[in-house]
Amino acid sequence: MERKLRGRGVAASWYGIARTATIDRAGAWAELDDGGTAKIVTGVTEIGEGILTLLAQVAADALGIKPSDVTIGDNDTARSPEAAHAGATRQTYMIGNAVTLACREAKMALFEQIATHWSVDIDCLLAFDGELQARGHNLRMTMEEAVATCKAHGVVPVGSASFTAHGTGLDPVDGSGSPWQAYVFGAQVAEVEVDTYTGEVQVLGIWAVHDVGRAINPRGVEGQIEGGVVQGLGQALMEEYQTVDGHPVTPGFAKYILPTALDIPQINCTIIEDPDPLSPLGAKGIGEPALVPTAPAIMNAIYDAIGVRMTSLPATPEKILQALQDKTPGRGRDVRTARDEGAQSQELAQRRGAL
Amino acid sequence: MSELWVELEINNRKIARKTQAHKRLLDFLRDDLHLTGSKEGCGAGECGTCSVFVDGRLVKSCLMPVAKASGCKVETIEGLAAPGQLTTIQQAFHKTGASQCGYCIPGMVMAATSALRQNPQAGIEEIKERLGGNICRCTGYTKIFEAVELARAVIAGDQSEDVLAEEPVGKSYIGHNQRRIDAPARLSGRLKYAADIRMTDMLQMQVLRSPHAHARIVSIDTSEAEAMAGVAGVITSEDVPGTDGFGVFVHDQPVMARGKVRHVGEAVAAVAAEDLITARQALAKINVVYEELPGVFDPEEAMQPGAVVLHDYAADNIVKHIPLRKGDVAAGFAEADIILEENFSTQQVEHAYLEPEAGIAYVDADDVVVVISPSQNITHHRQMLSRILDRPINKVRCIMSPVGGGFGGKEDMLYQGMLALAAMKTHRPVQLVFTREESIVASAKRHPSRVRYKMGLKRNGQILAIRFSMISDGGAYGMSSEGVMRKAAILSCGPYEVANLCVDTTAVYTNNTPSGAFRTFGGMQAQFATESMMDIAAEALEIDPFEIRRVNMMLPGSKTHTQQELNSASLDRVLEAAEAASRWETGAPHMRGATRSDLGGADTRAPCTLGARFAGGRPGADGKERVW
Repeated sequence: MERKLRGRGVAASWYGIARTATIDRAGAWAELDDGGTAKIVTGVTEIGEGILTLLAQVAADALGIKPSDVTIGDNDTARSPEAAHAGATRQTYMIGNAVTLACREAKMALFEQIATHWSVDIDCLLAFDGELQARGHNLRMTMEEAVATCKAHGVVPVGSASFTAHGTGLDPVDGSGSPWQAYVFGAQVAEVEVDTYTGEVQVLGIWAVHDVGRAINPRGVEGQIEGGVVQGLGQALMEEYQTVDGHPVTPGFAKYILPTALDIPQINCTIIEDPDPLSPLGAKGIGEPALVPTAPAIMNAIYDAIGVRMTSLPATPEKILQALQDKTPGRGRDVRTARDEGAQSQELAQRRGAL
Repeated sequence: MSELWVELEINNRKIARKTQAHKRLLDFLRDDLHLTGSKEGCGAGECGTCSVFVDGRLVKSCLMPVAKASGCKVETIEGLAAPGQLTTIQQAFHKTGASQCGYCIPGMVMAATSALRQNPQAGIEEIKERLGGNICRCTGYTKIFEAVELARAVIAGDQSEDVLAEEPVGKSYIGHNQRRIDAPARLSGRLKYAADIRMTDMLQMQVLRSPHAHARIVSIDTSEAEAMAGVAGVITSEDVPGTDGFGVFVHDQPVMARGKVRHVGEAVAAVAAEDLITARQALAKINVVYEELPGVFDPEEAMQPGAVVLHDYAADNIVKHIPLRKGDVAAGFAEADIILEENFSTQQVEHAYLEPEAGIAYVDADDVVVVISPSQNITHHRQMLSRILDRPINKVRCIMSPVGGGFGGKEDMLYQGMLALAAMKTHRPVQLVFTREESIVASAKRHPSRVRYKMGLKRNGQILAIRFSMISDGGAYGMSSEGVMRKAAILSCGPYEVANLCVDTTAVYTNNTPSGAFRTFGGMQAQFATESMMDIAAEALEIDPFEIRRVNMMLPGSKTHTQQELNSASLDRVLEAAEAASRWETGAPHMRGATRSDLGGADTRAPCTLGARFAGGRPGADGKERVW
């Protein structure tokens, strides 16, 4: 048997968007402000996934201004409307749509005044990137001028909205029900190399394909996929919180092993856009679904490489060596012999310490 | 506490002052100089969030006593660029989206800066090696690698600085790669996380935690601790004015142990004192008498009659059981050409967000109890705190501080109640910052799972019936377990239309560290089993893995495992794209790695041999000093 063997595996996945088996909801307020800027207020936002930027894009698009002109106030139960929580792959879907609807209302308040000001039909007004125009007329003004005009008419252009996702509970006997109104699907292929002397698995490539609905910020979507893949890889191969009679024996990062820069496969992302038919944005989500298929894709790839089925996570070197030994009676002795023979190799000598 | 005079140069300014001798360079930077861009992620030199330059060398400032830095030239994240400016490397991080939660990012920027100062021509393999001492939990590192390579190209003049600018917008901001609006604050270390905030007259809190997995609390004597100079207050469950209990679905967890402890690391009492050291010393003066109880540490044992009971309300130790029933499973198996059975298990997983839990509470001028913490669910935390503190809901205010990674781990409430109680008792701002060890022992984990799987299929690969049973260790408290079991059940059998299924998911109380919300909420544990079974079936039936998934995949109009009719489903497109993108070679999955022709393409990385990546000799051996 060759020492290092490669293989590939695939896994598919699905996931529901927003809170499970309940009516989910989120609120937002919007105001077109002086200078053609905007204030958006909502209850919960950034946990690192990029939702602030996404909401700025969504608001800018709905209001006809630039994302850099959007100020987002958030995260305060005494100062902002309820948006529930930052989790459940719900922020783009729930809060993104609430902000969209609130911004549309604020923009309509402005458009009504501008339509009167220009004596044009409101439907011909179009705002984008800080400029407002009346299509079919030779009329343009900046959004800064538009807000000033609106306020000169005595109107502050504000809007508010609540967005709802209509999940239902599950029947207590047969579990029937409609837990979510939007689902996403994904698939990942993993390519691995297994060192049959040490049991170490290196993941060399991941091809991650995920439906996210409309991708508001494709680079941000990739960031979520890459982060999810690496958390999935950690769970697949190395991470394990262990206790003995309830006492943790992995109390720090010296014992609890996390993926570092050297463990990272090349991650090739493909974004599929299947817009959600039930919401104004059409976006769905990606935060959680990205890591679902990674571990099984890696286990299927390990099987392809060495013919052992790893059914217990994480697939540590110790478990891989044991599985190889169980598969081939007598092989344990061969491996030990091979290790001794290889001891002149400096690299192998280093690894023996770890074993 | 003994004192020390230090003189050093920090970010090109001379500093000469007295400090405490026990301080690490990190403490001196953060506490004495308020340079909070350097973060404490682990306190043990393992994560790199505290990285700074000392005399030009990349150093983990949590490992260096401040005395040792005296006389040195120190450069921190705050000193890399002029105020309001970003270096080329920081701009590249901004451009590629290399910063997510941002907590690791100051340290990562320092490591990247070090890498390119050491070798401006560093290749990707060397860059990875040089970033190897810095952990990032959000990004998967990929955009960080891209950023360092982009910065290298700009610094070398291979690419113009224009590549760092915002991309021009097309016809819409939807679908636009807008750079993160909040990234510059994270990249420059300016963003204040909860542990970085200082308030006037603020106390420091420390928590006494259970050394036992299961024990009755006979008595708690706090008198000696309370009498200590510098101690402002000690709290226990006696101080809870309202209904003591929190949790997402069942309110089974007291703010601090009440009558008994159910897991190692459970909070028992807490001290608020003038400074951290005094608070820690006071913990040792709290006298708790425990009577140890037998514990139960295996979920299947916990389900047996006569097992140790954790909570009076749940004599069978069951947190929640979720059943799904669809079609006729017996008839499905009877029709099957092949029946496969396998057992699977997954482990408890730590979220390992780089920002350990932290928070501040105070009572404001309007008598509102304000809690600032990196909470993922301020809405629910406010509701629970209102009951626990027995205050009207508008007299409790929760503010979400910047979250240095959450992944579900900051969704379940944990310490916010203690902070609020201490603030109410002392009427001063109180801050609590967990150590990494405290975070690991006290916070909830991903549910471990054991799955028994039985799948019946026709020869063409169509699944006729599935029996899926998952038992999960919920640990000592309910937290999010019910929701996790529900989601695991709903998603259990994967994105496939299965006519006949019988699914049971059950979470069980044990005296282990509690399990709670973690990215996928049960979805990955269940689908790991299903996706393994799909390949086992594909091999047995001589079918390509993509093909067997297509035979069974959900389509618009399919009935899910909960009998919901799907209005849309994109798995056909997803599978087609994955097969094409990976250049997948069709074939049944019989250990065919050795004969595949689709391996090792340009879209894979080279395997890594540790230490073998530095191109020429000793790093930075040319002795040149480079600063940008």
